[in-house]
Amino acid sequence: MAVSDKRMTLKEAVSKFINDGDTVYYGGFQIHVPMALTHEIIRQKKKNLHIINASTDVGGLDLLVAAGCVSEMHLAWAMNWYVKAPYAIRRAFQSGELQRFDLSNFGATSALIAGFLGIPFIPVRGNIGTDMIKHNQHDAKVIDDPFTGEKITVVRAWRADVAIIHAQRVDTLGNVVTWGTRGVTDEFGTMGTKRGVIVTAEEVVEPEMVRSDPDRTLVPYFKTLAVVHCPWGAHPSACRGYYGLDIRFCQYQGKYERNKDLLPHFMNEWIHGCEDHAAYINKYIQKFGQEGLDRLKPVLGFKPKMDIDYGYHDPGVWKGVPQYTDEHIKA
Amino acid sequence: MSANYKLTELMVVRCAKEITDGEVVFAGVGLPLVVVGFAMVTHAPNMILFTEGGSIRATAPAGLAITVDDPALFANGDATFGMLATMAALQRGEVDVAFIGGAQIDKYGNINSTGVGDWTKSDSFTYFAGSGGANDMATSGKRVLAIMPQDPKKFVEKVDYLTTPGYLDGPGSREKLGMIGGGPSCVVSTMGVYRFDENKEMMLVEYFPGQSVEKVKANCSFDLKVAPDVKETVPPTEDELVILRNIDPTGFYLG
Repeated sequence: MAVSDKRMTLKEAVSKFINDGDTVYYGGFQIHVPMALTHEIIRQKKKNLHIINASTDVGGLDLLVAAGCVSEMHLAWAMNWYVKAPYAIRRAFQSGELQRFDLSNFGATSALIAGFLGIPFIPVRGNIGTDMIKHNQHDAKVIDDPFTGEKITVVRAWRADVAIIHAQRVDTLGNVVTWGTRGVTDEFGTMGTKRGVIVTAEEVVEPEMVRSDPDRTLVPYFKTLAVVHCPWGAHPSACRGYYGLDIRFCQYQGKYERNKDLLPHFMNEWIHGCEDHAAYINKYIQKFGQEGLDRLKPVLGFKPKMDIDYGYHDPGVWKGVPQYTDEHIKA
Repeated sequence: MSANYKLTELMVVRCAKEITDGEVVFAGVGLPLVVVGFAMVTHAPNMILFTEGGSIRATAPAGLAITVDDPALFANGDATFGMLATMAALQRGEVDVAFIGGAQIDKYGNINSTGVGDWTKSDSFTYFAGSGGANDMATSGKRVLAIMPQDPKKFVEKVDYLTTPGYLDGPGSREKLGMIGGGPSCVVSTMGVYRFDENKEMMLVEYFPGQSVEKVKANCSFDLKVAPDVKETVPPTEDELVILRNIDPTGFYLG
């Protein structure tokens, strides 16, 4: 993949890189949920997506399912915790529109790790002895450990076509930078993709900024397809160091999720009625006031106290330096 | 209950007593996050907290952690990994207490957090969130501590969907499947406290103030065993309540 400027709009990124029928790694967990991307996928009416993920909160996936974009989900946990249910997912499973393949969190994470590693399957403790194994033979089986003969669960590798994630920062080339979570499972879900990663970020920076501190890179540029500058892109979930969880909005959205006749009002007002994510945030300010956003400001003042230096050593100094020796070596 | 505390407060303080100072505790989302915060500032200052979000910390979070990857868990944490590092520690057998919630439980401590109804007939099945990390925690944690609501539909002969293994079909079942964790040790419900007998069956050891053995049995659909020395749970002290309310001042979890 070329080293090039990958900046584009949310609309361009989704229309260019997500196809109907794709397997999509859905980023984040209870934080860093890719909500702006979720809304844009709904606006563009993508169909028949297969979602892979470990756990996902704040109802982003519930909205995606409600909009009819998803036909399969392979994961461990999905809901809007602030209303304690995954309402649209529940309805879609009951109606048969959605197929669900359940694993445990580490079963799902291990499947993503196998994808990351480029191997076909991987053993994992857990899942064995449960109804997940019984009902999800597609993703998990119990085999005899070839070395000890003991029973062990194995899960198939999960490799998405494309990953959607939200991060704090990304550079113009697509080096994704996160801190204070390491993305929970994002490093595996992204690196295991067949085509690459769409990232929305609070800030877009120059590559020299990232290269001065490469330990924080979660996804290196060569896996990145699209870079979208998108402040508040994880709202109503939290983005570390930028904003906290919007519990009131999650509860508000959840009241719509609960009722399938009410939900279209939410979709029309907050998703279809907003041209992009900036419009969504403007609507928020219009409806709940600037103080609503201000309330989400994080407690800051947690800057690293260690001043580090990535200095390196120049082997040129060895030029002309004679071999070290002593009496034992000479003898 | 005419007492000056809430049921959730009684449950949290009672649960915290199950944690011994110095233990590694893997806490799931919900009340467990309040319990560990409380334990760390009271009798278990040397406890080590693990979560699915990847937080590893030796000190209590500054504010209430609402989620398992809550920024409050990572600020001044000892390590901020993703899911891999903490779950790997579980698989290595390094977690003393796996602390989970659930929606339904049977007499062998098997837990359902996937949904109710018949999964194979999808129109009859009502999905909850799913396993999350509960299955992993209960498979490999040295012992399992569960906190959950109780009524006859939640304490059942057989769970509708077995998400998280307790003792499965009874003695020896876990061992046969190579599970490294010891299984459930204690369940704290909205009515009382349970342990497991030599047949790996749930046994009432304490009932909450205002409850009785009869009332607890009436809210359990299997034939509940009762410990010969069953007693009333000691309620939280004023000091404990002050500390606890300071952890969750808005009552997000405590109500």
